[in-house]
Amino acid sequence: MIGFDIVGFIISWLTLFGIYAILSLTLNMESGVSGVTNFGKVVFYGIGAYISATLTTYLILMLNGVDIVENPPYNINGVILLGELGSKNPVLNIGLFILSVFLSFIVAGFVGYLLSYPILRVGPEFVGFTLLSTGELLRIFLLHFEPVGASKGLMAIPNPLGWIPDSRVRETLYLIVILAFLALTYTVMKRLLNSPLGRTLKSVRDDETAALCMGKHVPKIKALVLFIGSGFTGVAGTLLSYYFTSVNPNMFVPSVTFNAWAMIILGGMGNLTGSLLGAALITLVDRLLTFITPLLGITVISPDYVRWIIIGLLIVVVLIVNPRGILPEKPIKTPALQQVEEELKK
Amino acid sequence: MIPGFTQTMVNFLQYIFFYTVFSLPLTLSYRTTKVINFVHANFITYGAYTAVFLHGVLGNSSIVIAAFLAFVIVGGMAVLDNLLVFTQLQKRGSSPAMVMISSMGLWIAYRYLLYVLTDIMHFYTSKNFVSYGRITYSDIPSISLAEFNLSQAFIASMVATILVVSSLYLILEKTRMGRAMRAISDNATLAEISGIPRNLVINLTWFLCGGITAVGGVLWTSFSGAITPEAGDSMILQVFTIGFIGGLASLLRTSIGAIIIAFMENIGIAFLNTYLGVPVSFRPFLTFIALLTTLILFPPLGAGGGLPYRFRKRGLSQ
Repeated sequence: MIGFDIVGFIISWLTLFGIYAILSLTLNMESGVSGVTNFGKVVFYGIGAYISATLTTYLILMLNGVDIVENPPYNINGVILLGELGSKNPVLNIGLFILSVFLSFIVAGFVGYLLSYPILRVGPEFVGFTLLSTGELLRIFLLHFEPVGASKGLMAIPNPLGWIPDSRVRETLYLIVILAFLALTYTVMKRLLNSPLGRTLKSVRDDETAALCMGKHVPKIKALVLFIGSGFTGVAGTLLSYYFTSVNPNMFVPSVTFNAWAMIILGGMGNLTGSLLGAALITLVDRLLTFITPLLGITVISPDYVRWIIIGLLIVVVLIVNPRGILPEKPIKTPALQQVEEELKK
Repeated sequence: MIPGFTQTMVNFLQYIFFYTVFSLPLTLSYRTTKVINFVHANFITYGAYTAVFLHGVLGNSSIVIAAFLAFVIVGGMAVLDNLLVFTQLQKRGSSPAMVMISSMGLWIAYRYLLYVLTDIMHFYTSKNFVSYGRITYSDIPSISLAEFNLSQAFIASMVATILVVSSLYLILEKTRMGRAMRAISDNATLAEISGIPRNLVINLTWFLCGGITAVGGVLWTSFSGAITPEAGDSMILQVFTIGFIGGLASLLRTSIGAIIIAFMENIGIAFLNTYLGVPVSFRPFLTFIALLTTLILFPPLGAGGGLPYRFRKRGLSQ
């Protein structure tokens, strides 16, 4: 094992873990806790990534006085100019980063809110399929929409920390940014889950009719959950686009959604810590395979295919053998419940 | 009049045939087994690849043999899925959403398994199976109407559609098996009480549905210029939308849905392209609009366990 860069490996694993953990946490909130079978995670992820990519590349060129009609960021001149101008002004880079995080949260959340309208009145089967097909349509749209680079996508997106000369320091700092966002997402989701709203969500998942009869406005609640979940997914997309510094339509295939599903099913649906664990395990295997694949040389069967077969079978096997996952869902400890338990002990 | 009108009309008819063969089994399987089956996409692809491997590896050029083998293989695949996964989950009392998620897991596994198979076959024959050209079959007669030559795909799929529709009608209306299937789709518990062997009937339904879809896949090989392991996945939007138009319950309405979607995707987009300059590749958006319209205006009530919300001025909370 000559040249196995252990620090680089850990940094790249944690970065990927941070992004995917945001996906799996929000998916768990939507699907594991409130029963919206979201098969279209990739829609909001893609929207977030493309918004930040488009915004950053266009604005950097415009603010540096480049004529974007002649040198749009998706052609070769634009890419070269972006490479030259991209990391000159730290304030601009960080400002654009914050702006894109906000915008992608709002836009992805709003799209999620709108998409909740057609799917409110139908069961989980239809919800899942509608969102899944939305993802494919988004991809087809991006593949043919010239201003965002069509099938080539956008390249040379300036990283907000691109002005730091040393790449290891830059990667570590960006990792800290990602983990901070992950911590924020986890806190928000945890607070939501432990609030009265969280318990309403669980009641909607377990029995929609009963929740409706108890006077809960189920459509409004589902729309709200999709807004919050999709917003955070959009932020994850933003983080992804700055990490890879390029986006193209083929990054946003339904497989991304399935990856997140495998994580929450493995970790345990309805348990937020479980999603973190699932994300950590699956991204670790992912990264290990990426590091090992070149060592195997040319094989008849690509290890990538085997990986996907394993992910698919993992979902099926876990659902059959242990549907509650590694960390099963726990009842929420409310103050009232604790008081009752104490009274019972006496 | 739009340019290429005759060709558009022929394609319109052609797609009606394909969509009917693809989506009737989806509706039938959902209403009998209550499993929304994403593996349906794999049924199409595996049907097509049965024909491709028979042609590329064994040199078969008979569509009858290919269709028969595809029917048996994919039908068996569907029964295996049911026995190993869906029945196990339902026995454990999993919710329909969980069964759907498991079918999604199977979908991924099958899809990449096919890539592995194409890789292995490529290793042995060094032919490109990831994008396989149109197959010319030797046992389809060539017919020309007036000055117009009908393609092989058109003749084969027309015959197959007529066969599928009429045999489904005969099975469902005239045989004991069909009556049992209809009884189970109406009320499974009552059907079981009155002595219908439920598991047997459900397995037979899966066999039939998988088989018919696979025949559709074989027909696709005589039409499509490039058969890829994602052939079925790229059609899943249309097929499911057609199923939803039929409410996943009525076979007649599913057939009407096939005509509507085929119309929008061929004649509708041709009009939009000619008069408004909409690119032809945006064709799936029309289907998606049809899907949203179906869900908003005619929500398939009860079919997926949804609640009949109505948005009135006075909200539900009052």
